[in-house]
This record gives sequence, C-alpha cells and structure tokens, in this order.
Amino acid sequence: MMEKDVQFDAIVVGSGITGGWAAKELTEAGLKVLMIERGRNIRHQQDYATETKAPWEMPFRGLGDVEMYKSEYPVQMLNRHFTEFTQDHFVNDRENPYATAPGTDFTWFRSYQLGGRSLTWGRQSYRWSDYDFGANKRDGHGTDWPIRYADLAPWYDHVEQFIGVSGAAEGLKQLPDGKFQPPMALNAVEQHVRQVIARKWPGRCLTIGRTANMTEAKPDEGRAPCQYRSICARGCSYGAYFSTQSSTLPAAQKTGRLTVVTDAVVEKIDYDPATRRVTGVRWIDTASNQRRAASARIVFLNAGAFNSVQLLLNSASEAMPHGLANGSGVLGTHIMDHANTLSAAAIMPGFEQHTTFGNRPTGIIIPRYRNMDQLDGVGHTRGFSFQGGALQSTWTRGKREAGIGHDYKAHLREVGPWRMVLVGFADCVPRPTNRLTLDRARVDARGIPLLNVEFAFGKEELAALAQAKAEAAEMLTAAGGQVILGFDRPGPGGTAIHEMGGARMGWDPQTSVLNRWSQAHEIANLFVTDGAQMSSTACQNPSLTYMALTARACDYAAGQFKTGAI
Amino acid sequence: MDEPAKSAEWSRRDLVHGAAFFALIAGVPLAAVKLSRRLQDDAPTDRQRKLIEAVSQLVIPATDTPGAGDIGVGDFVILALAHGLEGSRLPASSAAAPSPGAYRRPDGSLLHLDWLEDDLDRRARGDFLAVLPAAREAALRALDTEAFADSAAGHPWRTIKALILTGYYTSEIGGSKELNYELVPGRWDPDLPLKQGDRAYSSDWTAVDFG
Repeated sequence: MMEKDVQFDAIVVGSGITGGWAAKELTEAGLKVLMIERGRNIRHQQDYATETKAPWEMPFRGLGDVEMYKSEYPVQMLNRHFTEFTQDHFVNDRENPYATAPGTDFTWFRSYQLGGRSLTWGRQSYRWSDYDFGANKRDGHGTDWPIRYADLAPWYDHVEQFIGVSGAAEGLKQLPDGKFQPPMALNAVEQHVRQVIARKWPGRCLTIGRTANMTEAKPDEGRAPCQYRSICARGCSYGAYFSTQSSTLPAAQKTGRLTVVTDAVVEKIDYDPATRRVTGVRWIDTASNQRRAASARIVFLNAGAFNSVQLLLNSASEAMPHGLANGSGVLGTHIMDHANTLSAAAIMPGFEQHTTFGNRPTGIIIPRYRNMDQLDGVGHTRGFSFQGGALQSTWTRGKREAGIGHDYKAHLREVGPWRMVLVGFADCVPRPTNRLTLDRARVDARGIPLLNVEFAFGKEELAALAQAKAEAAEMLTAAGGQVILGFDRPGPGGTAIHEMGGARMGWDPQTSVLNRWSQAHEIANLFVTDGAQMSSTACQNPSLTYMALTARACDYAAGQFKTGAI
Repeated sequence: MDEPAKSAEWSRRDLVHGAAFFALIAGVPLAAVKLSRRLQDDAPTDRQRKLIEAVSQLVIPATDTPGAGDIGVGDFVILALAHGLEGSRLPASSAAAPSPGAYRRPDGSLLHLDWLEDDLDRRARGDFLAVLPAAREAALRALDTEAFADSAAGHPWRTIKALILTGYYTSEIGGSKELNYELVPGRWDPDLPLKQGDRAYSSDWTAVDFG
C-alpha cells in the first residue's frame, strides 16, 4: 500500500468527469500520477450488474424499495436517473450526511465510486460563449472571469474529439459549434416545432441535444456507437457514452504512469508555509479504517465542486487558518446551480400516424436567445435555455385514465399520443450569501466536519423562469400544441445537478481563489478544476467546460512542472 | 381489525407459499421476498389476497395474453403497498376517499387493501368475491369512475390501479408479450409510420417515465 514516502509527480483527488481528465492529461504529459477515489472500484463492463436486466428480473420491477429509499436515499431518490437499476451508482445519504442552513432546501446528488458522476451524468455537452464568460463583467454580479471563449476554444476541440460528442452545427454565437460526430435525428414532432419556431422567431433555434453519446465508433479506444437503449446510468459496456471508465481511465492507464486508490476519503491537504506549496494529501482507507498519506509536487482537486471546497476548508492550518488558499475569504462563497423547472408540457396533435423506434439518449435544446446583444430579459440580465423533447406515451398513461377490462387493455396496448416538454434552465447569479461552510459541531462517522449548505435563488432566477414559462407556452402553442401545464418556480437548489462555484476563478487574489489557470492564487502547485472553479453558471450544462478547463490547466501545470517552476 | 392474527395467519400458512408462487411467476429471487419484513408486518388476509387477485384480473383481463390476476400481479400489489411504491406509504389525503379515516396506519398512510375490501363489499352489497361476475365488474367500474373524476385526485383506487398496471406491464408477459420489449434497439428511427395494431414498447423508458 501507499507509504508516506511514496513520491508522485501529481495527486488527483477524485475520479469523476474532471478527475479522469486530469489523470489522463497529466500521465500523457509524462507525470507519475496518483488518483484517489473515495468510493468503491467499479470496473468497466464487468461491474455494471444491472445493465441487461429486465424489470421482471428486479425485486421491485425497477421502481425500487421506496420505504428503504426513504431512510437510506432520501435525497438521491429524487434524481431522475435514480432507479432500482441504478441505485448502487448513488451515494447512501444516511451514511454520508450534509447539513443545510435554516430555510435552505438543497438536494445534493452524489455518486461516490470510481468514475463518480461520470457514470450517471446527463451527458449534455455544450460550449459556453462570451455571453457567458463576459456575464459577470457586464451586469456586475460576481467577479469577472479571467478567461474568454478564445482561451478555451482549442481545449473544447480537444475534449470533444476525445470523448465523442454527437450534435448538429448551427452557427450560433451563444452556443458555439464543436467537433461533432453526426447528430441524432429529431423526431417528426420536434422537426415540426423547429420549423415553426425558426419561421416565427428567427433568433430562436431548436436543435438536437449535443450529447456525449457517440454515433460513430472509436475502435482504437474500444468504444462502440450508441445502441439506443437510453439506460446509460446503469453503466454501458459498449462504452458508447463518455465516462471515466469508458474513456479517460483506460487512456491514463495505458501510459503506465497511473496509480489508482479507491475506498480512500481524503481528509486534508498538507501545506508547507516555508515553501508556500502543498506537499501531499492524507486519507482514510475506509476498508481498514487506517490513515494513509502520499506526497506529490502538484495536487489537483477534482472531488466535485462542494467536496473540493470542503477539503480546502478542512485543510485549514496555522498558516492558513480560514482554509487552504483562502486568504481572500471568498472560499465557499458564490455557490450556484441552474434554476430549473418544467416550463411547459403540451399535447401535440396531428402526428398520430408517426412513431419512432429505439430510445434516443438525448432530447432537444433551445439555446438562450434573451439578453444577448440587447438586454431584453424581463427582470433579469442573463439567459435561460430549454431542454426537453417530444415523446409518445406508453402504458403508464393508464395511471391517469379511467377504465378497466378488455377495452382498457386494448387501449393501453397502443402507442399513446404525442406530447412535448420544455424544461427551463436559467442562469444563476453568483451571490456571496450562497455559501458552503464547515459545521464543526457535527461530524460524519469518520470524524470529518459536515459541509453546511446555505442557498437560495433570488429575484433574477425567478424572473427568468417566469419569462421562460410564458415563452415556452407561446412556442408550443404556435406549433399547434395544447399546453397542459407549466411552472415558473425552480426546484430546490441542486435540482439541476449543476452545483458549482465556491473556489471561484478571478483576476484578483483579494477576491478570488483561483487564477486564470485554475491555479490557487496563493499556492502555485494547487489546482482546482472541477465545478468549484466556476465564476458564473451560463444557462447550459457545465461539464464540457469543466473538462476543457481541466485539460487546459493540466497542460499549464505540466509545463510549469517541466521547467521546475512548480 | 385483528392485525396480529392476520399477520400470523398469512406469514405462517401462506407467506412462504405465496412468496414462492410470486417468485416463480415473476422471476424474483425467493430470498428477496421472504426477507421482506415490511411485507410480513403488512401481511393481508387470505381474503384480501384473493380480492386483489380478482380485482387485478378485472382491470387487465385475459385476452390473447394472460390477465393480471393470472400472472400474480395481486401479490406484486401486496408487496408494493408494503414498500411504499406509487406513494402508497405517504400520509393519505383525507379528501381523497369517502371515509378512509378508519384505515390509517399510525404514520397516517392508508391500509389500501382494508379500505378496498370494505369499499367493494359495500358497492356489491355483500361479499364482492361471491357475487356474480357482472356485479363484480359493475362495482369495480363504479369505483373506477368515481376515482378518476376530476375532483378525486389522490384517490386510493388510483394508487392501487397504478400498482396493478405496474405489476402487469413490468412482468415478462405484460412487458414483452402484451407489449413489445427491446433491450438493445441498436438503432434510432426518428420517423416511422404508425399502423393500426402496432404495439407500444414497455422498454421506451422515456415514455414510461414521462408519458
């Protein structure tokens, strides 16, 4: 096992979407890397235990033991990807508690395992634009991003080509095109709605979701194209969607320079005030309950936004009493999540002769169209976008319908009517009052202080979702839909599973934790490249940007390492 | 109400047999069912077990494929009610049923089978299981019509019926014989003609979740 005197070039804490990327990029740059994962090992293909199961092979038919969930998984059970098939890919809430401030309702969705949430993510992969990187400067919320789109564009190229993103190029400034594999097709209803919207509102574009599900094989990497099952969160032996297991981990392992330790909860990062460098990390081996440590010249934090912040806060020392790299005092503050709700659902008549075959693992997106070159948002200065799609119902519609007997059974045998949903995602304004702290009075079973989440949406998000609701209904109605419901109130924080911020990037060491290289202002050999580094949210999914920022930071760190600067 | 006696009766004489039967029909490991303490705590009477089997069969009768009662869906409903599927262990809405107050567990959730048994006996003006088939069907149809009135959101029959549908269409018969089941479609056809008689897919997970 690891000894304290084992020296690595770099330690990567976490093995999820960004941890896998850090391990790949750093090992490929020639560094000897230790990747530490708090959860259990999950082997690609061999350990996807429920992947091929039918509902009738599951004790609770795929719905799961709800009474057990209420005690063991009360938060995770609210995740739409959480089922009896996928429950082992989510964290046990009772064993892994967190605290919330009075008045805060925050659903923190977590996956503690090798691969982290890369196994269970929604796979939507969007570039951010300068409307996003320039947002804080423009309206004065938060702090200005020290990077712009041009800094990241080549890294988006790099990441997309490696992970495999299918999508359609649309030439939109607000959602830049990438290096796409061929898109998955829109269905007949979506195609119709796209045309109606384009005709009536030239600035609005309905396009297929850009998703890290491949439409072309990558045979050199042992990855097959999507089989249109859409049960990704069970794990995919085809390797058709991006996960650590399917993609970055084998690449890193191929270098021969990667060591992986699982079942290892990192407690603290060691800091040497004399050199102003971090020197290594300490962890608890959860199998043996032993404390272990390793040292390295570089540390990358990729534990997930909130856990990376927790680790920095918990690594306070005499030299850094408010937390590691927290001379500014902003560590833990300005956490965000997209404000997210079902903006409209409509019945879509006129397509009764149309159907589909296969389960497409992505929906559609209508990218932001408000507050671009003109400030035309009502009560808000940023963007909202829609994801969703059109679908035909199946037997579950019978739960809402009167009827018994032969006719009812015959009715449920048929493919049901088309409906379309638009789910709104609104930009979340960074606020100092939304913050993470350590609750030192309460500790988990390992004695580590609980993370305390204090979070609320504000008037900007509510205004954006109100406008989103109205405009979603307007678009579906224009396409001949009959809107049956819509909401303008967001779900609790965390609902979008895009929690981010807490160690924000910025120009000024007095007001930010990280510089433009995702590097701690105060500690040159410490990098944070997961969601914690984000200074704003945009209104599209962030994971692709985390990956691009990680690859960029690794390139920088490896360069500094080779010159001896760190 | 004699809970302990009921519980003992079912677990002693029928639980093992019932669980074995359910496991055979549904392909569920016997251990998973036998170990369900919640099911033992919530064990129904023999009569309730027959009742829910008969009711399942009335909802989804035998056609060119077996009906719900034929394939053990009644036992799935019993298991599901004990384990809170379809929100069945949440505190029951008092407005939902005519007089559900008498059928509450200490946690406020409804003892659905106790309620259903009394409701159907009342509607059948006697022993629901003993009246003529047409009278049974009429009683259930009357309940169904009432429960799906606009004003009846949260009605306990909606919960039970949802579990009957779940039990049937997630079974091998219901999911892959009555409907189509394709674990690995292998392709995406975005626009195909839908013809009379085409069967829906039980493996269209998006439709199952959001349809």
